[in-house]
Amino acid sequence: MFERFTKDARDVVRGAAVHSERSGSQSVGAEHILLALLDGETGRASLALAALGLAERGESVRRALEAAHRRAGLTRAEADALAGLGIDVSAIVSRVEEVHGVGALSGDRGDKGWWSGRRSFSRGAKDVLERALRAALARRDRHVGDEHILLALTVLPGVPAEILADHGVTYESVTRVLNGQGESQAG
Amino acid sequence: MSEARDLAERAGDRDPRVGLRAVAALRRLLEQLEAVQVRSARNQGWSWQEIAAELGVSRQAVHKKYGRQ
Repeated sequence: MFERFTKDARDVVRGAAVHSERSGSQSVGAEHILLALLDGETGRASLALAALGLAERGESVRRALEAAHRRAGLTRAEADALAGLGIDVSAIVSRVEEVHGVGALSGDRGDKGWWSGRRSFSRGAKDVLERALRAALARRDRHVGDEHILLALTVLPGVPAEILADHGVTYESVTRVLNGQGESQAG
Repeated sequence: MSEARDLAERAGDRDPRVGLRAVAALRRLLEQLEAVQVRSARNQGWSWQEIAAELGVSRQAVHKKYGRQ
């Protein structure tokens, strides 16, 4: 699958692994892919994010990701739905962390990798990369670029999509600025 | 009693989307709690059989889910 990835897209995948390692996580999650996208400066996704005003708001996105960690990786909408049932997710996370250590309920539902201590891509991260491939096909682009990874993050339900939408980054807004870029490049 | 009734009413929120979202979120939270507890039990030397008995599932089920690949 990776042979069709552009250099920028490969940099994002590598950067996601570095973020995962730095955070002490056992697997690479979709949130690490989002962090790696924020690091980029040259790719089409970076240009799109800058056009949507996210370049200056990276810190806000990082804070939102940390908040999601304290919700056991659930989205705010999910935590609110549970609060409606009288379940306080942050209280559960605090209790578990008291006994089992910070980050025990990290929210990265890695597949089997966590057990053997191997760094692997979580199901969520794999879904993002597969969806990026499909986004490239849908746009009839021959290569999978970092912009397709960004598009994938906006459509897959979960914390990254929720945070991006909160910052005005949706499939529609990204598509709009990407098409604008394409026109200016063609012209 | 009245508190329980309030909860039951909210759990049966009229908007199915809210209720279904709560169920899905609870399932994900449950999966994570289970993973934490299974890991902890294994670290303390519990056998798969003992863990399975507490969880009320078969030894094969818990080993397949969490066992070394």
